[in-house]
Amino acid sequence: MRDHLRGDARVRAGRALRLSLLIALALLFLIPFYLLVRNGLSSESDITSPEWTFFPSSLRWGNVKELFEDTSVPFARSLLNSSLIAVATTLGTLLLASLAGYGLARIPYRHANKVFYAILGTLMVPASVTFVPTFVLVSSLGWVSTLRGLIVPTLFSAFACFVFRQYFLGFPRELEDAARVDGLGYWRTYWRVVVPNSRPVFAAVGTIVFIGAWNSFLWPLVIGQDRNAWTVQVALSSFTTSQVIRLHELFVAAAVSIVPLLVVFLFFQRWIVAGVERSGIDD
Amino acid sequence: MWGHQNRTLWFWVFVGPFVLGLGIFTYIPLGWSVYLSFFDAHNTVTPSDFVGLGNYTAMLQNEAFTDSLWTFLVFSLFIVPTTYALSLALAVMVHRQRRAQAFFRSVFFLPAACSYVVAALIWKMSIFNGVRFGLANTVLGWFGGDQIAWLSTTDPPWYWAVIVTVRLWLQAGFYMVLFLAGLQRISPTLYEAAAVDGARPGWQVFRHITFPQLRATSVAVVLLLVINAFQAFDEFYNLLSDSRGYPPYARPPLVYLYYTALGQGQNLGLGSAGAVLLALIIAVVTVGQAKWFGLGRKEAE
Amino acid sequence: MTINRRGLLGAGAALGLLSACGSNTGRDEGGSGDGPKLSQWYHQYGEQGTEQAVKRYATAYKKANVTVQWRPGNYDEQTAAALLTDSGPDVFEVNGPSLDQIQGKQVADLTELFDGVKDDFNPAVLAPKTYDGKIWGIPQVIDMQMLYYRKSLLTDAGVQPPKTLDELVDAAKKLTTKETKGLFLGNDGGAGVLGGTPLHAAGLELVTADGKVGFDDPAAARALGKIHQLYADKSLLLGAPADWSDPSAFVQGLTAMQWSGLWALPTVQKELGDDFGVLPFPKDGAAGKPSVPVGAYAAAVSTRSKHQKAGKDYLKWLWIDSTDRQEDFALAYGFHIPARISLAKKAEKLRKGAAADAVRYTTDHGHAEPLLWTPAARSAYQDALSRIIKDGASPDGELKKVVRKVSAELGRVKKKS
Repeated sequence: MRDHLRGDARVRAGRALRLSLLIALALLFLIPFYLLVRNGLSSESDITSPEWTFFPSSLRWGNVKELFEDTSVPFARSLLNSSLIAVATTLGTLLLASLAGYGLARIPYRHANKVFYAILGTLMVPASVTFVPTFVLVSSLGWVSTLRGLIVPTLFSAFACFVFRQYFLGFPRELEDAARVDGLGYWRTYWRVVVPNSRPVFAAVGTIVFIGAWNSFLWPLVIGQDRNAWTVQVALSSFTTSQVIRLHELFVAAAVSIVPLLVVFLFFQRWIVAGVERSGIDD
Repeated sequence: MWGHQNRTLWFWVFVGPFVLGLGIFTYIPLGWSVYLSFFDAHNTVTPSDFVGLGNYTAMLQNEAFTDSLWTFLVFSLFIVPTTYALSLALAVMVHRQRRAQAFFRSVFFLPAACSYVVAALIWKMSIFNGVRFGLANTVLGWFGGDQIAWLSTTDPPWYWAVIVTVRLWLQAGFYMVLFLAGLQRISPTLYEAAAVDGARPGWQVFRHITFPQLRATSVAVVLLLVINAFQAFDEFYNLLSDSRGYPPYARPPLVYLYYTALGQGQNLGLGSAGAVLLALIIAVVTVGQAKWFGLGRKEAE
Repeated sequence: MTINRRGLLGAGAALGLLSACGSNTGRDEGGSGDGPKLSQWYHQYGEQGTEQAVKRYATAYKKANVTVQWRPGNYDEQTAAALLTDSGPDVFEVNGPSLDQIQGKQVADLTELFDGVKDDFNPAVLAPKTYDGKIWGIPQVIDMQMLYYRKSLLTDAGVQPPKTLDELVDAAKKLTTKETKGLFLGNDGGAGVLGGTPLHAAGLELVTADGKVGFDDPAAARALGKIHQLYADKSLLLGAPADWSDPSAFVQGLTAMQWSGLWALPTVQKELGDDFGVLPFPKDGAAGKPSVPVGAYAAAVSTRSKHQKAGKDYLKWLWIDSTDRQEDFALAYGFHIPARISLAKKAEKLRKGAAADAVRYTTDHGHAEPLLWTPAARSAYQDALSRIIKDGASPDGELKKVVRKVSAELGRVKKKS
């Protein structure tokens, strides 16, 4: 009896300890976000003040307005471009990679394994080193400063294909068999049975691709030569010139630039856990 | 009706578009790079000055390149276990937490949405700047410590603290989710059986049930961590580069190759040779690791 | 130009709607002239008004339809990649052109544009644009760097403005307090921005006139050792949010002295009034002399351009004939010295105070990085300098390695010519 009680107390103490540890870590993880917002809403002199204060002397929401009214940086336009590019890249990648993943996992073909390893191998090639030839190639297609040029070359993600293949390997065969009995071919089975039952994995891969597309910098910088093709990351880089850095504007722009991602993320994150759980990414 | 001929056709209907694109936008540039690596290709992609293996020997004798490989080694020896341990710990704690579980999961996962550019900005300008209004230096000041120039000091190498923490912050949540998914797949009956056997909840259960059951997830996480460490570029570049270049310390291979092959130096031959060497090393390490963990076993069965 | 505006806009109705809300649609890029279409690239200047100014110049030119592109971030990488393709600029600004760009025939020979005015260009910045007796870029404006110091802080510490490198080391040490550092040479401790400046101060050169390594000399190790001394004394400001090129650290009182550019002068003047002075990098040793690094972005014509002739005509109009615009560009926004000697003499703004000092230093002690100092040589030297400063590596040993590498590099480029 006493033993039992002591065990209970121990469990409770353990719980309390875990909770306080979690809270401490959560605060630590939130500090950078707080700093981003704090600096973004501060005046330049508050950021660089010798006395570090938790809150700036006044919250300057005007910084946000200033950012969107700054005629030297087309920030609103760049947000739009980034959204468009990220959505198109995500949809395109999901389509291509899931089809390929399904084909590799489910359609018997003598050389399927060779094809798979040829795809997987590209994961090991650092993309930045084939950068110049890729740029020359895309340029010779006449795709510089076009949406095509910004989007199409980034659509072929070996990582996404790999995840889809692993997931479809574990997809319940009974569902497909039922479709086959109904006389559906590969194509219609895929669209009518496989896709509707695989939403979490699409959400998971889609979120990862979306983040990557939103955050990519060097490719849009070099391909999107025209100012009208600037993405958010390119616009961000324009706040740091070789002569001066406008700290408050840089921070407020950085804060605004991650808002769309946070929204996407919070919205899809339950799906992501479920998606990973079922994807067999780790089998 | 799903005949052999038909199947091959359907295979290519599904896989063909992807393979075609990969061929054009990955394999052609890759082949081109390999071709360039045998030439003296300064500021040109159509070189005529064949140098054989000259670029490869030059790269292997190049201290800056070999140093960068050491940098990678040191970096991954540190970042791989640390990220692994932190994300596993987070996952176990969040998994057990009943109240506000979604909140904690979101908080730890949220940084994964941040770009390296934004994270590096916060780290470099706000937390770890070397002057009195940096957060880290302010905290040090409360305890009477001296200001530290985090990114500029090589002895002791404080810059590793900056680089490692930014990567941990950005990535721990992502791997935590992988572990969470793994944890949810562990059958509750295993825990019940353990309880019957008298295992104490806590360390014993973790040691004998949870950890072994997460083996598959662990293997995947370690593989991804190592590949990612090899490809590390963004946080290093954003934290340490300036308008005049990059310091000779904490310079991983991709950063070194970036400065070799892009920009005005544009030595595409030498840069490509370095890239090929790097890809070979990654391939050897990954395949070796996969063999070691027996990743291919399932395929073979 | 290859911009596909319609493609961008046509991609969705929502896109068109939203873009109408944007305050800037980027249509003010100049380009009103007739004739061939030319695309002109500039790197992004931080000074307000520069972008509008260069677009105004482009619009004023009637013989071609010039479109200005204002490029943020990683300018060297962008131009280097674009010059490999047909989608690059016709005329562009370049921090060079580099020797490999010239030898690789990526930029056009502009010698004929200089007929009759060649002697009016500052020889220090024209020399690195010259190769094989031909000129490959038109210097736009001269940028120079110097040492800013806070008079009041020096007086308080009882320190004279340093005339030698030893005095600089001493002064920096004395000026260092808990709150304020003595000297700011950039967040990397000076390895990047100083370059060959300490070697010049010791009476040496990066590359000699006959194309040999110019610092294979004990004086080099001695001078660089003193930069390490600054670091070892903890007199250097490190890790400031804004780097050496931005006067923030100096005007915020984080440092008593800062190495920065002439462009910082207006800000410093505005914030500190009379409480500052400027100096060249002080000399070191008996053979030494004060040292002032100068450089110039140049306007160049891409050989990939389909309108090379039109491009040359345009550059001649803008950077040779339109002296009023050159003056405007140099002095109305940031603070630069015109590349033309006649304009520099005329400039009212450069006649008094610190600005006049800066001009004098430039004339007397100015040195530009030679064309033969290739990026590969520069990065080898910079790595060594960083190790000397921060790791306390032996200057002798490090310099030996650099001499070997630079000799090899000089051999490579000589073979090509």
